[in-house]
Amino acid sequence: MKKSLSLALTAVLLTAACSSGTNANSGSDAENKTLTLASVDQGSVEDVIKAFEAANPGVKVTFTTSGADQYQAQIRTQLSSGTAPDVMTVWPGNGNPGATYVLAKPGYLMDLSDQPWAGQLPDAFKTVAQYEGKTYNAVFGLNGIGAVYNDEALAKSGLKAPETWTQLLKFCGDAAAKGTPAFALGIQDNWVTQLVLYALAATTVFGADRDFDAKLQSGQATFATSQWTTAMAKYQEMSSAGCFQKNPLGTSYEASQALAATGKTLGIVQGNWIIGLLKQKNPKGKFTMKALPATDDPASFLMPAAAGAGYGINAKAKNKELALRFVTFIMSPEGMKLFNEKQGSLPTLAGAGTTVDPGLSELTTFVKDNRTVPFMDQLWPNAKVQQTMLSGLQEVFSKQTTPDKVLADMDAEYQKGA
Amino acid sequence: MTPPWWFTLPALLLFAFVVLIPSGRGVYYAFTDWDGLDPDFAFIGLRNFTDMLGDEDAVQAIWHTVLIAVAITVIQNGIGLLLALGVNSMIKTRNLLRVLLFAPAVVTPIVTAYLWRNLLGPDGAVNAVLGPWGRDWLGDPGLALWMIVVVVVWQFAGYSMVIFLAGLQSIPREIYEAAAIDGTGALRRFWSIVRPLLAPAITINLMLSIIGGIKLFDQVYALTGGGPGHATDTISTLIYKDAFTLGEFGYSIALAVVLTIIVAIASAAQYTFLSRNEKAAS
Repeated sequence: MKKSLSLALTAVLLTAACSSGTNANSGSDAENKTLTLASVDQGSVEDVIKAFEAANPGVKVTFTTSGADQYQAQIRTQLSSGTAPDVMTVWPGNGNPGATYVLAKPGYLMDLSDQPWAGQLPDAFKTVAQYEGKTYNAVFGLNGIGAVYNDEALAKSGLKAPETWTQLLKFCGDAAAKGTPAFALGIQDNWVTQLVLYALAATTVFGADRDFDAKLQSGQATFATSQWTTAMAKYQEMSSAGCFQKNPLGTSYEASQALAATGKTLGIVQGNWIIGLLKQKNPKGKFTMKALPATDDPASFLMPAAAGAGYGINAKAKNKELALRFVTFIMSPEGMKLFNEKQGSLPTLAGAGTTVDPGLSELTTFVKDNRTVPFMDQLWPNAKVQQTMLSGLQEVFSKQTTPDKVLADMDAEYQKGA
Repeated sequence: MTPPWWFTLPALLLFAFVVLIPSGRGVYYAFTDWDGLDPDFAFIGLRNFTDMLGDEDAVQAIWHTVLIAVAITVIQNGIGLLLALGVNSMIKTRNLLRVLLFAPAVVTPIVTAYLWRNLLGPDGAVNAVLGPWGRDWLGDPGLALWMIVVVVVWQFAGYSMVIFLAGLQSIPREIYEAAAIDGTGALRRFWSIVRPLLAPAITINLMLSIIGGIKLFDQVYALTGGGPGHATDTISTLIYKDAFTLGEFGYSIALAVVLTIIVAIASAAQYTFLSRNEKAAS
């Protein structure tokens, strides 16, 4: 506790020191030209800020970036102590400590409903950018989950990317026999555990019933008595068919990227953001994302796809005018295209002109054909449901519990509500 | 002559402002359902504490904490004492050895933990050396907890060694010589001379390692994140997760209060026991 508290305190003190520093240095004239911002978009927001500053001469953006864990701790402390920046990363929907519902409910976010882009967002993103009918989150990027293949490794193995569930199991067996397992799995970092499950659940749960979430909310359905059991069973079946490399529980996210990038596995089940990361590790590599087969009927496949983290404005922003101008920039074709291309995400608004990585054409088609479902946790009522699933899956892999028990525990947390 | 008590006032005031008052105010939240964000929260009495008894994760974490603390205290001090006896002897490389053995203790724990996380990975250096005897050290719930102990001991055995060494060097050479003339063996010399005269160093080392072991956070967080599942969660990692991942600040502060009480009881008990021993030995 002492450590984490002191970490949080240091974060507060540092930001306080930074902001008072800039205020002290800039004259009253320059004061309304400074925007403060906190973000988790390391590696992409920097370029967007540069472009924004170039488009608005004289404007200075003071910003911090950090990893999601650290950011969530920091932003809550800053919001409750009144030291939060003007613009900040906000996750869509609910279910995590920095999500739209969580921050909008106590009134920390500014209502953005009257912005032109708010009306143009497709329904799938509107629901997760809104709280009680008002828009609070400028979501600019779309991410999907699927099987990402290393084209070169696949060609070398002489195998073909599977199109059906039966083919998938055979593909895994053949790949393992050749000494290059099908998929890298790095579930030492517990958030990674959910990705294969989501990829399977999209088709098995929501393919069978697109309204499953509504039924879950109204209490007509539960995890433990639904197709979620099928998704869980298929995850285990993949594991016993040798789809993943040995010792996934000791393998970190970082290590799993290295395996897939260098062809020690034929691919990896991940979000589309992985393509950029794999290319960093293997600049010559080509990577293609496909839906992960979950049944023998390819026409029934759905892919999990959802708005990624966007930006909200602090209800007590010191510079509201500039904050709005920044958010408008993100949602403009120019800003959105820049953000998307840096992150490898797809645009949330039509007409952004984003050049999408050729490896993502299948995801683009699925989005266009409305064959996607949001990430399952985005509409769960509290953060504990997802955390129960994540540590539960690690326990399933280390044989400390059973899939049925995990689903029952998730139901119990779900029913506790917000 | 002792200086008047009010000489301590400046230090006391500073301590009160920086430590006592904030901690005291913090404890209040242990009796609320505060989520760390919403200014609108309720006083719920002892419910956080009664919830804890039914919380499998919390009970498990308390057990892990006790296991880790005891294992670290015993092993780290055992090894530290042996090392100190070794480098206190007349061997030629003793100065170099002292530096090398103490070196890990000056590195930040989080750095050494990340280093070990890579060394202990499925394709890490440890498995490369062990070949067919390699294991999934951090991914196996039966091993992971002990790997944390190994890493902590690896880093801090040198630290215990330095404290023991200081104690050893304060023992006058004449006593050893007298004992040698009387014809005592090495074991007897250790038991009748070194052990009693080393008592203050033993007290300090045991206190430091038990408190450090109970509060352990960095190494667990970096090596396993408390996983797989909850297999290596300690009270400290659970406090962190409950507060910052789940937003249950009230509950996590209640856990922190329990941790404080455990540390206080363990160190008070140990201190009473050891200081009695010290007196008996002197």
